Amino acid sequence: MKYFVNVNGRPLEVEIVDRAGKLVVSIDGEIADFSYEEVDNDGQVALVMDERGYAISVAGKRNDYHVTLAGHAYAVEIEDERERAAHAAERERSKGGGVVKSVMPGVVVELCVAKGDVVAAGQPLLILEAMKMQNEIGAPSEGRVKSIFCSAGEAVSAGGKLIELEALEE
Amino acid sequence: MFQRILIANRGEIALRVIRTAREQGIETVAVYSEADACALHTRLADQAIALGGLLPAESYLDMDKILDAAKRTGAEAVHPGYGFLAENAEFARRVVEAGMAWIGPPPEAITQMGDKIVSRQIMKAANVPMVPGMTEPAADADAARAAADEMGYPVMLKAAAGGGGKGIRIVHEPTELAGAFKTASGEALAGFGDGRMYVERYLVNTRHIEIQVMFDAHGNGVHFGERECSMQRRHQKLVEECPSPAVSEAMRQEMGAAALRAGAAVDYEGAGTVEFLASGDEFFFLEMNTRLQVEHPVTEMVTGVDLVWEQLRVAAGQELGYGQDAIAMTGHSIEVRLNAEDPSNNFLPSIGTIGNIRIPGGPWVRFDSGIYSDMEVGLNYDPMLGKLIVWAPDREQAIARMRRSLEELNIGGVRTSAVAGLAVMNDAGFQSGEFHTQYLENMELTEPASDLDKVVAAATAMRRWKQANRAALAPRDADRLGWIARGRVGKATHPHIAGSTSGFTREGNRS
Repeated sequence: MKYFVNVNGRPLEVEIVDRAGKLVVSIDGEIADFSYEEVDNDGQVALVMDERGYAISVAGKRNDYHVTLAGHAYAVEIEDERERAAHAAERERSKGGGVVKSVMPGVVVELCVAKGDVVAAGQPLLILEAMKMQNEIGAPSEGRVKSIFCSAGEAVSAGGKLIELEALEE
Repeated sequence: MFQRILIANRGEIALRVIRTAREQGIETVAVYSEADACALHTRLADQAIALGGLLPAESYLDMDKILDAAKRTGAEAVHPGYGFLAENAEFARRVVEAGMAWIGPPPEAITQMGDKIVSRQIMKAANVPMVPGMTEPAADADAARAAADEMGYPVMLKAAAGGGGKGIRIVHEPTELAGAFKTASGEALAGFGDGRMYVERYLVNTRHIEIQVMFDAHGNGVHFGERECSMQRRHQKLVEECPSPAVSEAMRQEMGAAALRAGAAVDYEGAGTVEFLASGDEFFFLEMNTRLQVEHPVTEMVTGVDLVWEQLRVAAGQELGYGQDAIAMTGHSIEVRLNAEDPSNNFLPSIGTIGNIRIPGGPWVRFDSGIYSDMEVGLNYDPMLGKLIVWAPDREQAIARMRRSLEELNIGGVRTSAVAGLAVMNDAGFQSGEFHTQYLENMELTEPASDLDKVVAAATAMRRWKQANRAALAPRDADRLGWIARGRVGKATHPHIAGSTSGFTREGNRS
């Protein structure tokens, strides 16, 4: 299986081949001397590569992982060949506008825009209170407010839809 | 000395108090919310009293329930920790009225220092240096604007009843003021039930340096030197150290004397911290925190004094028994706060289930935390999971030790501020000792390019590959159910005890 891996925005290709029960791992086409053991079910990994030991924590599933190694955090996106093609097609379709989602659970304190408003990139859309702090949620890009999925006083979960923007016509 | 004390708090600070109490042979009573039934403070105290409830207001903020627990268990004193009711004068008063000792300052001192406006007036009278600012809260945004225009920008909007970085905004431009006033005042109203704001001059390139003090009930007081707390973001401290690289011995003595004047002016008792804004060798009173601070361990590491034990001793009426001459500072200590937040995503709160914990060890490494495997980190409590503290003979070695410890540490399930702590340790500006309270806000916290990318990519791909294979190999539901059904049939045809009317025995059903 070939994986397209993005480590903190830097692309790499990893291929894993099962040769009669022995896994052969190559990174960017180069075969690595490799031992991979899972210490527990939480993603603690003991990795030995080219006779160097690494204590790694790998959390996540499917396409998004969060890796910690020697105190550094790595945001890792991973796609296999089939997913890579499907995701590229999807990105092409949703160009311009988009849905603003809550990155954290919290309570909507105030809506700063109304349906139909034209907003500039960075303009506050709403104020979200989380962990006793009030945070302005800004527009990711310019656009027109197409729909509003929340109201003042409403609790939203992480990943919950807040506002949908549509691209401005030329 | 007390035989039994109640700890009206949770998390790492509850554990911190339990540890000293146990070492001194004092029994501890923990209180816990529904969410904390498995918490370490619940498990490690001698007695644990359920408060019920999931929200702080139903548990750790419910004075009646806590006082009932104290009376029922025969506790002689109450330690409030920090946060929750630690700076609540009414609670302190009720503890005292119930015939128990309050391990903290007198309620009057909490009230006076808790109101930023009153405290400014008292400090001015006590000849403690002050930053220019309003002595009365602004009536509204327009009044704040007028005051700010007169003082000159930038200004700081600050809630009269604030604390912990909430209800504070820095305003650089006159046009930003109205909006900032609204959000800060709203935050203060939601957080403290008091939306009053005042305005003061905001000094640039300032450092946040605080003095630890301790007073007994007999009029004796000492200070334990300073803590450097300038590495902060949105007024939330991230890295603290003792001593400060910016404080000379002369300045330390001057600040210490001012802090002792501040405490004496409100007849202080117990442990307290006087926070100063320092600019060059000038310093100005910021506020006094009338409790033990989160960052107290760095002072303990350098002075060798157990501050919680000193709190207990003076609350029990003992004299300090030593003077300023007895306080010596040796070596250097650094603390990094481990908050459940994501430094790579603007420090937004991170929630999840703690797992995959690896705690650093080795010489002079201290880990004060209440975390445990499978602990739920939600939004109801403070995001601080714990603190990593190191000591070394000098600052350079302390930085190296903290870096090594952070590299060993792993806390899975949530994002933590540990990566930001590591970035600070690796930063040339931090290493030089020349930084200020805005420094961390402007620091580049994205992970640097690493030669370990390939290792990370390979480990992740392997993890995904194994997960996918396990999923493929896992029996489908239909297969599993069929297998179980066949198993039961097999059991039923087994020769069974005469007289039984059913082919299924209890045991057979369970298999």
